[in-house]
Amino acid sequence: MDEIQEILEDFLVEAFELIEQLDQDLVELDTRPEDLELLNSIFRVAHTIKGSSSFLSFDVLTKLTHHMEDVLNKARKGELKLNEDIMDVVLESIDMMKELLYCIRDNGNDTAIGMDLDDIINRLEAVSEGKDILEDVAKEEVEEEPEEVKEPEKEDSEEDYSNMSDDEVEAEIERLLSEKKAEAKKKRAAKEEKPAKKPAKKPAQSTKASSSKPTKSAAAAPPAKKQASTLEQTIRVEVSRLDHLMNLIGELVLGKNRLLKIYDDVEERYEGEKFLEELNQVVSAISLVTTDLQIAVMKTRMLPIAKVFNKFPRMVRDLSRELGKGIELKISGEETELDKSIVEEIGDPLVHIIRNSCDHGIETGEIREQCGKDKTGLIELKAYNEGNSIVIEITDDGKGLDADLLRSKAIEKGMITEQEADSMNDREAFALIFKPAFSMAAKVTNVSGRGVGMDVVKTNIEKLNGIIEIDSEVGKGTIIKMKIPLTLAIIQALLVGVQEEYYAIPLASVSETVRISLDEIYTVEGRNVLRLRDEVLSLVRLSDIFGVKQVYEPGEYTYVVVIGLAEAKLGIIVDTLVGQEETVIKSMGDYLQGINGIAGATIRGDGGVTLIVDIASLMEMAKGLKVNIRESMQTKNKTKNSPSDYTVLIVDDSKMDRTIMKKSMEPIGISIIEASNGQEALNMLKSGEHDIDVMLIDIEMPRMDGYTLASEIRKYSRYKNLPLIAVTSRTSKADRLRGVESGMTEYITKPYSPEYLENVVRKNTKLIAE
Amino acid sequence: MADKLNQILQKQQQQILKPDKTDNIIQLVGFIIGDEEYAIPILNIVEIIKPIEFTRVPSVPDYVLGVFNIRGSVIPLIDLRRKFNLTPMNNTGDTRYIVMKGEENTAGFVIDRLTEAIRIKADRIDPAPDSIGGDKGMIYGIGKREDSMLTILKVESLLKRDF
Repeated sequence: MDEIQEILEDFLVEAFELIEQLDQDLVELDTRPEDLELLNSIFRVAHTIKGSSSFLSFDVLTKLTHHMEDVLNKARKGELKLNEDIMDVVLESIDMMKELLYCIRDNGNDTAIGMDLDDIINRLEAVSEGKDILEDVAKEEVEEEPEEVKEPEKEDSEEDYSNMSDDEVEAEIERLLSEKKAEAKKKRAAKEEKPAKKPAKKPAQSTKASSSKPTKSAAAAPPAKKQASTLEQTIRVEVSRLDHLMNLIGELVLGKNRLLKIYDDVEERYEGEKFLEELNQVVSAISLVTTDLQIAVMKTRMLPIAKVFNKFPRMVRDLSRELGKGIELKISGEETELDKSIVEEIGDPLVHIIRNSCDHGIETGEIREQCGKDKTGLIELKAYNEGNSIVIEITDDGKGLDADLLRSKAIEKGMITEQEADSMNDREAFALIFKPAFSMAAKVTNVSGRGVGMDVVKTNIEKLNGIIEIDSEVGKGTIIKMKIPLTLAIIQALLVGVQEEYYAIPLASVSETVRISLDEIYTVEGRNVLRLRDEVLSLVRLSDIFGVKQVYEPGEYTYVVVIGLAEAKLGIIVDTLVGQEETVIKSMGDYLQGINGIAGATIRGDGGVTLIVDIASLMEMAKGLKVNIRESMQTKNKTKNSPSDYTVLIVDDSKMDRTIMKKSMEPIGISIIEASNGQEALNMLKSGEHDIDVMLIDIEMPRMDGYTLASEIRKYSRYKNLPLIAVTSRTSKADRLRGVESGMTEYITKPYSPEYLENVVRKNTKLIAE
Repeated sequence: MADKLNQILQKQQQQILKPDKTDNIIQLVGFIIGDEEYAIPILNIVEIIKPIEFTRVPSVPDYVLGVFNIRGSVIPLIDLRRKFNLTPMNNTGDTRYIVMKGEENTAGFVIDRLTEAIRIKADRIDPAPDSIGGDKGMIYGIGKREDSMLTILKVESLLKRDF
């Protein structure tokens, strides 16, 4: 029972592979009907599937493929001239064959869907007999394929095809039985070890390939030949094994990051030591190898995008027949490779986009001629690499998108207000087609028009962290550009700092970063926007979205990270840009699954955890946010009227010194707070409780001295200009220099006169004595 | 020969039976949160560590402090004081993170202080009284000891996400 199951699985894998090839060949045949090589390979596919299915007693499938083979065989021998009508019947029968194979895969038999074959068989017979008169066989051409010679002869001699197929079935059974025996033998040998089961299967397959060649069975020879050539170079590996490998590499990358970080620390501490050189060599070698390894493993998971592209020629052909338009599909870059998981996701969006192009984009032949365009429409499907992502471009030379029409349609459907429509540029208007239930089609056809397709496109591309761009010109055509990251497991991320927290933004979604001044932020209807070149960009603060505690206020300038996802763009305000880093997405477990705005976490070089931003949900969250950024960033700058609105912070470990300073400043009437060491002062500053205007700092203090405190304070952009006045008994020039280096504004040496201190404070707070 | 074999077999049998008798002794680890002593089964504990740095996670209840890295895994950190609606407290020298593992989840829990490993007979554990059973069913039972009571917590419900 198990063996049958295994044979069945092999059969299905093989059959689906063959069919994929078949589809492509058939469409190509459309353009080159005389190509004998093509016809032969198509015939072989039908033949192989027939042979295997009869062995596995899938009678329905056998019957269908048998009649297909009948037609193809005649075409191959030149008895039948292939034309569009015959191709339609053949293609239809191939579709039915696919359906039957799916049925077998899902149900284990071919009767579950109860397909009615009579009609198609009658038509197949009709086309095959309709031109049966052409007896002058072009045998010489057939001779090209030595393996093939036997077959035509055999089939020539017999009119009764059912008889023939029985013979074949017999041969096939014999072949498969011997194969089974060989397999069983191998199994018995490897009885004890279970893992050996899988490898044992492979040799069996290859024996099939090699042993069937010498046998007289012409039926098995052609596919076997094909298999033999591919088997030599490839191994089928379970995806889960590759996934596991990828996970391990992920750990290694994290380890490498860690190592690099440690090396930096060590380098700083033991500068000039000899062993550093060696360590450096080892660290760079390891990091190089890790990167190579990562790329190599990534490559094993890569599939050419041809896997997806292959089905489109057929689809476009069918659509063009159905819609009565002439459409040509040009494919390039199909060898471009993508991660397997992405290839799986990319198929559906492409189907929808191409269907749309065929149905709405390309005009009918007459209209095209009226517009002075070539009668046949052209759709170009292009894939190419760009940095760490892959770009897929779908171009059509159809009627293009009319931005004004889109706007009015959206207003009509109540999706946007008229005001919104007015403020939209063309690109934003094009993006309207991604809104669910938005359709430009006048009527719903069975090809498109329900307003579902483009929504699917958007959702799938979002899932992949991809970006969609639409460009269109009325009458000229439309270009849809999709940019998708190469892989999902290890991603390049931009690390940003928000207050004291760090977040990683997937670099694939980042289109640029800009530094802006607060004055450039405008508020339009409660939305914060930035004019970036010719675009208006919505802005949000990452700290508002994630509720980050406001420890300190950012300075006059701030950074904006412009992110794009699918068709949308958003500017995110962050405090600092840290840099680019390789990150491995780690799940935070079920407990924290699906937190809004967070895609996962990654471990940094220092062993700390950094959260990775989920761009899609972040954009959702940004929509609901109503904070006036400019206002909230400026509220702190309230006007100060009386001297008591100003605050001075005294940092000194001696109580007496603090009292002296307080006394000196009494005449100003300024508010005074105190800290007894650097650490305490820094915490007070960071807590934001007090709005400090000037600081008096002693140099020698426990826990954190004055120099360190000053340099710490200067790290915060908000305090770049806060007056820091050193008050100390250290008078040497070197001390003064160090004071300047650490960021002190003034240097007062003890002992000082109360008036002098008072004046310095007045000067720095601009509270001039009246 | 057969006798000897029998003897050995009997011995083995006894050895197997012995732990059976002690089986109703449950091993727990006790710890303090606020003023009360709690305990959880020792087998659910992955490890107990001193406080380390963690990363805050946005949009979660306040008792989820964030996530931290333990040997390459990122796991959540939950403050039991806040979870039990006690006033939050800064870490002291006695504060520990207990990393607990359930069937699906692993998480770290902040506790005030560890007490000891406890062996208690199963029949000394009463089921949680109904009146406090409403506390989201976090209590497995009350262990009676000579001089004190012990609240035994249900690890599975501690590890269950309830937001």
